[in-house]
Amino acid sequence: MEQLTGIDEERYLEPVKKVGRGFYITVAFLLSIIAWGAFAWYTQFQTGLGITGLNRPVFWGFYITNFVFFIGISHAGTLVSAILRLTQAGWRRPITRVAEAITVFTLPVGAMNVLFDVGRPDRILNIILHPQGRSPLIWDIGSISMYLTASVIYLYLPLIPDIALCRDRIGGWRQELYRILALGWRGTEAQKKRLKMGIGIMAVVVIPIAVSVHTVVSWIFGMTTRAGWHSTIFGPYFVVGAIFSGIAAAILAMAVVRKVFHMEHTLKPRHFDYMGLLLLVLTAAYIYFTFAEYLTVYYGYGGSATEGSLLTALFTGEFALTFWVMVVFGFFVPGIILAFPQGRSIRGTVIASVLIVFFMWVKRFIIVVPSLSRQFLPYPTGFYQATWVEWSLTAASFAVFVLLYVVFSRMFPIVSVWELKEGEEEAREKAEEAAKMLAPAGAPRQSRASEVLG
Amino acid sequence: MNRRTFLKALGATGVTATVAGQFVINRSTGEAGAPHAAGVVRKGETWVPTVCYQCPGGCGILARVVEGKAVKLEGNPQHPINERRLCPKGQSALQILYNPDRLQHPLRRAGARGEGRWQEITWEEAMAEVISRLKTIRDQGEPHTVAIMHGRLRGEMEGLIHRFLEAYGSPNDISSASLGRQTAKVAHLLTQGIEDLMAYDLENANYLLSFGGSLLEAGGPPMRVVGAYGQIRRGRPNRAKIVTVDPRFSITAAKSDEWVPIVPGTDAALALGLANAIIQMGAYDKDFVANYTFGFEDWTDEGGQKHKGFKTLVLEEYPAKKVSEITGVPVANISRLAAEFATNKPALAINPDRGALHASLGGSYTGAAIHSLNALVGNLDRPGGVMVQRYPLCVPWPDTQMDETARKGLRQPRIDGAGSKRFPLANSIYQTVARNSWEGNPYPLRALLLYYTNPVFSSPQGQEFVAAFQKMDFIVDFSPFFSDSNQYADLILPDHTFFERYENDLPPAGTGYPVVGLRQPVVEPLYNTRHTGDVLLQVAQGLGGGVAGSFPWKNFVEILQFRLSKLGVSWEELRKTGVWAKPLYPFTSPTDSRWHSVVGTDRRYAPKDGRFDFYMRELKGLFEKKGITEADLAGMNISARGDLVYLPHYEAPHRTGDATEYPLLLNTYKLMTHAEGKGGNVPGLQEMLGLHVGVKWQTWAEINPQTAHKLGIKEGDMVWVESPQGRIKVRAKLYAGARPDMVNIPFEQGHAAGGRWAQSRGANPNTIIPSVTEALAGSAAFTSFGVKVYRA
Amino acid sequence: MTRWGMVIDLDKCVACQGCTAACRAENNVPFQGPEGTAQGRAMFWNEVIPVVEGEYPDVKARFFPRPCMHCERPPCVFVCPVGATYQDEDGVVRQNYSRCIGCRFCTVACPYGVRYFNWFKPNFPEPMVAYTNPDPEVPVRPKGIVEKCVFCIQRINKAKEKAAAEGRELKDGDIAPACVQTCTGRARYFGDLDNPDSTVSRLVKSTRAFRLLEELGTHPKVYYLMEG
Repeated sequence: MEQLTGIDEERYLEPVKKVGRGFYITVAFLLSIIAWGAFAWYTQFQTGLGITGLNRPVFWGFYITNFVFFIGISHAGTLVSAILRLTQAGWRRPITRVAEAITVFTLPVGAMNVLFDVGRPDRILNIILHPQGRSPLIWDIGSISMYLTASVIYLYLPLIPDIALCRDRIGGWRQELYRILALGWRGTEAQKKRLKMGIGIMAVVVIPIAVSVHTVVSWIFGMTTRAGWHSTIFGPYFVVGAIFSGIAAAILAMAVVRKVFHMEHTLKPRHFDYMGLLLLVLTAAYIYFTFAEYLTVYYGYGGSATEGSLLTALFTGEFALTFWVMVVFGFFVPGIILAFPQGRSIRGTVIASVLIVFFMWVKRFIIVVPSLSRQFLPYPTGFYQATWVEWSLTAASFAVFVLLYVVFSRMFPIVSVWELKEGEEEAREKAEEAAKMLAPAGAPRQSRASEVLG
Repeated sequence: MNRRTFLKALGATGVTATVAGQFVINRSTGEAGAPHAAGVVRKGETWVPTVCYQCPGGCGILARVVEGKAVKLEGNPQHPINERRLCPKGQSALQILYNPDRLQHPLRRAGARGEGRWQEITWEEAMAEVISRLKTIRDQGEPHTVAIMHGRLRGEMEGLIHRFLEAYGSPNDISSASLGRQTAKVAHLLTQGIEDLMAYDLENANYLLSFGGSLLEAGGPPMRVVGAYGQIRRGRPNRAKIVTVDPRFSITAAKSDEWVPIVPGTDAALALGLANAIIQMGAYDKDFVANYTFGFEDWTDEGGQKHKGFKTLVLEEYPAKKVSEITGVPVANISRLAAEFATNKPALAINPDRGALHASLGGSYTGAAIHSLNALVGNLDRPGGVMVQRYPLCVPWPDTQMDETARKGLRQPRIDGAGSKRFPLANSIYQTVARNSWEGNPYPLRALLLYYTNPVFSSPQGQEFVAAFQKMDFIVDFSPFFSDSNQYADLILPDHTFFERYENDLPPAGTGYPVVGLRQPVVEPLYNTRHTGDVLLQVAQGLGGGVAGSFPWKNFVEILQFRLSKLGVSWEELRKTGVWAKPLYPFTSPTDSRWHSVVGTDRRYAPKDGRFDFYMRELKGLFEKKGITEADLAGMNISARGDLVYLPHYEAPHRTGDATEYPLLLNTYKLMTHAEGKGGNVPGLQEMLGLHVGVKWQTWAEINPQTAHKLGIKEGDMVWVESPQGRIKVRAKLYAGARPDMVNIPFEQGHAAGGRWAQSRGANPNTIIPSVTEALAGSAAFTSFGVKVYRA
Repeated sequence: MTRWGMVIDLDKCVACQGCTAACRAENNVPFQGPEGTAQGRAMFWNEVIPVVEGEYPDVKARFFPRPCMHCERPPCVFVCPVGATYQDEDGVVRQNYSRCIGCRFCTVACPYGVRYFNWFKPNFPEPMVAYTNPDPEVPVRPKGIVEKCVFCIQRINKAKEKAAAEGRELKDGDIAPACVQTCTGRARYFGDLDNPDSTVSRLVKSTRAFRLLEELGTHPKVYYLMEG
């Protein structure tokens, strides 16, 4: 089989095999950020949440923003990959694992931010011991843990043949680990069949779960009566937002993997172009949702007293600068970049993705904080400024995610080797078939097919 | 609750009640839904009655005591002033008792004055020092150079201190009345002949015209006024109209039916303008005015000289148009208010303790002008009218034993100039003590005792006291806390807080009928502190001679028991109930023989003929007696001449600060959460200080939004408020309830000492207020001072 | 059934904040100090809210004391993930201090802003801790959890104990939460809304009666009577 493929397995195993100085420096750097974050958390735990900028009425701030952000980003992977798998998009193959790993590692980081946010992390088990079923937070716990489980399985299943590859090719202390994780994969047809069925089922199962996750996250907000939150659009709005930011994050991950692991041969401009197109569609959808959301509230009379005050805060008040910069640079500029084929270059999609990921964090902040700062009753309006603790823990959250990702990418092939091989095989077969059927036009078609694969 | 059950409840709780046909009960209590008394008792707890000390209101308290610790205060339901209720100051009072910054033992100054270094000493050392110092001064024949300044002087402490000074030989018994109550008392004396604050039967009035002073926030006693407010709003079939005249939109103004924003210091003009309209309408009580007042019409004296009457004065001098120009109140409003006042009977014109009466140098005249409105509609000593406060009968003090030194000392003039030609009706002039002593006018004080008072903080230009203190030999302070003033003392002999000591308390005029409350320890004293009454008794014994002889009592409690022995209630019973009252006010009528007890009673220089004086004969008599002539008037800052001097009239406010350089007027005021300058170290009060502007824990200046806009000041900016006397840095609050030409700053903050929560917080407006004293009553004037405001 | 409710007559209220202070003393509500207060962290189970409107000289100011509304459909109870806030059998929305995890979902869900979070360890410096209410229903709360007005449940319990000891039923007026007892304008009333003869039942029938944010469907059990 080896000679049939143009895929050089060794190339993908290289990052796993050879761990350089860069890796250790990166890990050390990330660990120092995490250690600082741990110190911040310890301080917060000892002193109380009072050392954050949280207050009354802005009871939630960076942590909940991070929570929504990371859960949103998590949709990159599993959901996008599942959709692509189900639609049998051939170009998905080099992307799926890059994306799926994001899901698996952002979900715990998102959940971790909830832990930062609660006043009594020592009592967190009460959520399991004394769950109160009407609380959207409990729904969230349910859907997120389900999503995490599903995502782990969904990441793991396609990983099995590659783990087996590692087992066969890599020695040392890791071999035992690979052996266990490979679950005795031998690449038999029966195994392959079962694996494909498993992946197929998971791809179907994971989509509604993923949709539920961000819907339920939105319901944390939507189920309250608060101005700016109490909105029927919030479920789909959040889901679209999650996929939106998720794809952007996936593009960034692709770009980083491509650069760091020298995978220019696998992650080609075409992948960025396609992902860019997908991102463009979601940009448009997100702009549409945002517009629909605000227009409905604002139309005619500028909203109820509280809504009006909230919109004033956003449009012309203390959040206006943030808001408009976000709208322009977070939505429209990426939209314009992605709308043009030249913009969907690697550089273009990366720029757009950076903007989107950053401003989708800002967007979550804009959802959480301004609504809280405007109360129904005429209290003084709230003001929120994060302190070093929140900044530290936010940085640590990102560091944890990156660390997990980096370690993962050094433990397992970050692209699905066997799927690439399989894809090439399929394409070759298809091309050969086509060549047979349309002998005179065969040659160019074949090259087209391999291009698609490539 | 109807009247019968009310009386029954009173009877059942041990409060004496006499029912007589002609007596009208001054009801303010009991309506459906007003719940029970002290709360339900759990095991191991007791409820101890005592009396609040957070303001002069004298409310009854029941303290919940569990295992020797006071844990909660409630209003004593049997106390007629507050009837189970307590204001936020009272509710927060345990933060005084358990304050971490209390002084725990006697202190002797270790460093220079004001340096704040102290040495802990024993009571024996402290007493020995006080006795020897006072003895020396007395032996040197200068007892008059010893003064006691006092703030919250309640019950028998007043008599004790007065008697102590009398026996010692000093006339310098200096109260803080000139910062508050004195003007209203003088106005009452000059017109109605009663030397006391006015008591108002608010519950039965149909129309309240309240001049300044934030009736609901700082009225006297606040709990009675606020209770009455609830009563007249919803506790009876008709809902009386309340009109508040105040330059500032206070909470009282907000809760009134109408706010009359007035140019500060012009209340007299408005009152007389209203009188003008009422007289023109012929809507005044003609029978009452004709038969039971003096000086309404023009009159001729025994010498045949013609005198101008109130009517002529008012008609000539106070036409609506002119009044409108002075006060800024539209002409239409003046005539409407006048018509409402004259037709909605019974209508009350209410004199504040402060506010309007301190807004100008004619405060006594302002008070008289306002009070004249009540006489004009004949609303004296009637239900819904002005009452005369009665007090419980206490056993008179025996004569003081005065030796020759004492007699000589007492013949000396007072240090503050009270009762002099310059301030003929003043009984104490708090704010002048510093300058007079410093200048040695008429002599320098050698020793000063401070009892619950803080002149450095409370007096306009209080910093003058700091200078004066430096020249004094010996300063003793009795406060349980550090204060701005006792930083300069030589000895601090901390008193118990009011939860640890005995004292009786007579609420100020309000109910009409007599009330006496008993303050008693609810817990054992926390620290090595001593009742100042006991300290003074001990000092008297130590001084020996006549001073010792004047005090045959072992301790202060004996004095209380002696003075209250004829009350008709036993000491034990009083300790159990915490209050004795006779909750019936005997309204009279001019035809009744008892009328003489409500009109003219306290006159000394005018006939006690039962007539209300529109023309103030008492003042005329006093001037004649003191030899005050027209030539003296200019020096007294009285601009009127001739008969006008003895008639209520408007004296234009004396503006300090050039109007172009200092274009705004400074107005200071009190908040409900302001415990007489002692709330600074009560965190609970600090945390809810300025409700209407939402500012806590700091000082703010209320500025009209348009004015602020012109000055480039935004909400929440730090601004300087500057007068010729100095400047203070405060937070700007844009407040639509501020006049465009004024800045309002509340009292409370700006303490140099006084505990962790009070110290170095906000600013004290007294430091930028010039010390200006009103002519007749000697009151400090607190408003009409030019200031400028700019961003800090 | 008993359904505890409160009526606040705004026509009699003088915005003195006696209720706020009484509540704080009765329920061991810690103060936050100047910094905390500036950050809006001051805790008042019963806060008086000012509304100043208009321009000089046509200014209006309204003040309304705001305890917990004890909604019949309390958003806080719905969203609490651990059931730390709950409605007791008499309709009082209460807080289980030992269960709360401090997620503050309830504080953001409550449209009335009646719920307070302990940002720090409660501040009762020695010897101030002496005056804390020893009633077991109102322990001093630890840091990191949410607390709120509970209609002075300790007083409700005490009144019940007392009635039981005297062998009688509770009657109207037996119970006065701290705010009601101290109310200087006698503007507050407390009682059983299910008892047709209670004062509160009579007052809520007034044409002046209204509730805050009724449109949200929370069905508050605190009623206000309009001014004027």
